[in-house]
Amino acid sequence: MKEQLGESVSAVNGKDGIMVHTVAKERLFEFMKEMKEKGFDSLSLITGVDRKDYLEVVYHLHNFATDEYVEVKTTTDNGVVPSLVSLWSSARWDEREEYDLMGIKFEGHENLKRIFLPENWVGHPLRKDYNLKNIQYINMDKDGEDYATFDPGDGW
Amino acid sequence: MSEFVELNFGPQHPSTHGVLRLKAKLDGEIIRELEPVIGYLHRDAEKLCELTFYADNLILFDRMDYVGSMLMESGYLEAAEKILSIDPPERAQWIRVVMNELSRIAAHLVWAGAFGLDLGMLTPFFYCFAERDKILDIFTEICGTRQETNYMSIGGVYQDITPEIMDHILEFTETFPKRLEEIYKLFVKNDVFISRNKGIGVLDRETAIDYGVTGPMLRASGVNYDVRKAKPYLVYDKVNFEVPVSYKGDNLARFLVRFEELRQSVKIVREAVKKIPDGPHFNPKAKKPMMIRLRGDGEYYARTESAKGEFGVYIVGDGGVKPYRVRVRSPTFKNLSVLPVLAKDQMIADMVAISGTLDLVFGEIDR
Amino acid sequence: MSLYSRLVGLFSPLGNLPSEALSYIAESLIMIIIATLGLAFMIYLFRKFMARLQLRIGPNRVGKFGLLQVVADGLKLAGKESIFPKGRDDLPYRVAPLIGMVGLILAFAVLPYGSLFWVGTVTIFDASGTSVSVILLFAIIAIMPIGEVLAGISSRNKYALLGSLRSIAKDVSFEVPMMISVLAVVMMASARTAYPLSINSIVTTEILPYGILEPLGIFVFMVSMVARASYTPFDMGESDSELITGYSTEYSGMRFAMFYMGLFGSILLGSFMVSLFYLGGFNGPLDSSLGVVWLVIKALILVLISFTIWLSMPRIRIDKFVNLGWKYLLPLSMINLILSGILTLGMGW
Repeated sequence: MKEQLGESVSAVNGKDGIMVHTVAKERLFEFMKEMKEKGFDSLSLITGVDRKDYLEVVYHLHNFATDEYVEVKTTTDNGVVPSLVSLWSSARWDEREEYDLMGIKFEGHENLKRIFLPENWVGHPLRKDYNLKNIQYINMDKDGEDYATFDPGDGW
Repeated sequence: MSEFVELNFGPQHPSTHGVLRLKAKLDGEIIRELEPVIGYLHRDAEKLCELTFYADNLILFDRMDYVGSMLMESGYLEAAEKILSIDPPERAQWIRVVMNELSRIAAHLVWAGAFGLDLGMLTPFFYCFAERDKILDIFTEICGTRQETNYMSIGGVYQDITPEIMDHILEFTETFPKRLEEIYKLFVKNDVFISRNKGIGVLDRETAIDYGVTGPMLRASGVNYDVRKAKPYLVYDKVNFEVPVSYKGDNLARFLVRFEELRQSVKIVREAVKKIPDGPHFNPKAKKPMMIRLRGDGEYYARTESAKGEFGVYIVGDGGVKPYRVRVRSPTFKNLSVLPVLAKDQMIADMVAISGTLDLVFGEIDR
Repeated sequence: MSLYSRLVGLFSPLGNLPSEALSYIAESLIMIIIATLGLAFMIYLFRKFMARLQLRIGPNRVGKFGLLQVVADGLKLAGKESIFPKGRDDLPYRVAPLIGMVGLILAFAVLPYGSLFWVGTVTIFDASGTSVSVILLFAIIAIMPIGEVLAGISSRNKYALLGSLRSIAKDVSFEVPMMISVLAVVMMASARTAYPLSINSIVTTEILPYGILEPLGIFVFMVSMVARASYTPFDMGESDSELITGYSTEYSGMRFAMFYMGLFGSILLGSFMVSLFYLGGFNGPLDSSLGVVWLVIKALILVLISFTIWLSMPRIRIDKFVNLGWKYLLPLSMINLILSGILTLGMGW
């Protein structure tokens, strides 16, 4: 298995008994493509974990035919990882969410904009260095689009 | 060259089940392009989870799928208890199964009523809510609240279940199936209802899996997958039930699958209430003053079957009293993402019916 | 004796012409008051009926049994501010609710209600004024959709526009079958009376109700009346889960109340029309002095049937309704026309 997957490391290290594959982000797309060909037809979840000096991205893959569940982990220093939208459509919204809240940029996503927060929101809330004291208010402009502002008089 | 009318549905709109906003491009009555805009109920529960203790996070999960809050609680506890290495005693697990299924019934009843309203049927809504209220009465008896129950806690359940409450639950399981069949007939014996749903919004198996759709929607598309069966948690391997599957994938299939789930849930409740063993309802290791000082380490991804689909909770602990990262796999978030595919080239009326079958609850989508 | 001649007798000291004029005015006022009271009672009845059907109690706070709830709601709506949308077409926007209301009250004025004890026959235009009241009636109820269309176009709202588009599509597809099925009734009546276009004389020929002779006709007409009033199976124009409230989306206060009352008025009007044309109207087993009572009983039964349909049916899709109108109702009404023609000739009616 190891030769086939390149430099990935596979181990069970969580309490949940899920196999974890650790891959470098440069090899992530090829690895995922192989995984998809192996029958992992569903990308269940994308999670970004802020490890302070680097970001960790965890993918949960599910194979409905054999009911296998695996995790794929990758790390990134500059917050950029390849997008998996071309492999699984479910990545489309998940990547937008992780971009919105965690600030991970998914390279190759055709519509990478914020999904929950207004487009001009400052910062990414799930980052550990996000300043919670800095309150932002939301208001709606004339076209019905939301925008964020630091001015309490403008927002509601 | 054709010009489209841009129509904005919501966030305040009678059929958006909360605060969904849909940007539609219309060609007459037909929707050519649909873009859901979400986030109006967003409060970033995942961040709030990082700021509070493991035990306190429970109330945040109550407020995710607020119509089936017990399911959310047990979903969180599946992960949190493993991280904290505290096992709930046998009795608590059985009580949780009973509460889960009652909650599932309540959630599906809300869905059925709201779906009727989406199609313009006023009456089934009240029938469904009258039945749901009986469940909420049981919840009130057991923990004092109707909706955001906060009943389960780390290491078991907050209060023990009494024989009277068990009697009430059994009484409910006696009367409910009859009422359920009445409600069912109110829908399916109506030709207009059938014509509005049969063959509308067909979601095929491949698209469903590709978009990460789970739960009743996936089972209506022909995938026999239920976490309760495939990877039993709590004591679901000790109760007897079946997983309904349909291969049609249309609105009617989703409707029928959910109604069959209601019947199966009643069966589970009836069986599980009788099987609740004696013993403590709470693990003494997680006594109340100690609860916030519990330290969790490692990572755990727990999957449970909520009323909407596969509800996953991924917790990363760093050895502290607060979780380092909590990630929620919201089933409705994924189910909603398939709406633009389903509603493409459909009429407005059908789009409303399709979004009715998605069973949207915005507390969970926006978290 | 009729209500009109009694009123003329009452005002006779004033002279010939003034008394006639005054009694027309007085009769119209009486009709408007009765129609308004009837509508208020309809709304009360609907809310109570709906509540019973839905395991609720319904209005029970204002007045005895909540009887004054409708009055309270009316006062509340009258006291509300009418919000005017920006960019509206002002005149049509203000006039639209009135058109529907005027059409409704005019339609009630054309109907013959039979006789009631000492009051005599209760009729305004029909027996006393015109012998073509069928045409007049359908001309008047053809006015009412104009209000809906104007409301939808003038309020500059996409929901309202879509709602009125749907309304037009709906109206076009059921009016033709409706008229053809009425034609069959007129044809049958023509064998018995010299004035087959007067509703009053049509009803007097109905010794055997036309609904029994023309089961297809009553079906088509009833469906058309449901569509005319536009409640649930056929309320595509104001479908609340899709288009908020369709053409009345931008209306508030008293102007909205007019649309709301128009809906109930249309149900009442439809019930009266079905019972007049197809169920024998004011004919009853007893002496004709109870005519109004028979008519009201028949209409009330139809009203309750309408409410049950309203509350238990989901909404049909607009394209399916247009299909229904042109592919099923129209052929059915044609068959009905042919059958009743054969019946009229063959049985020597």
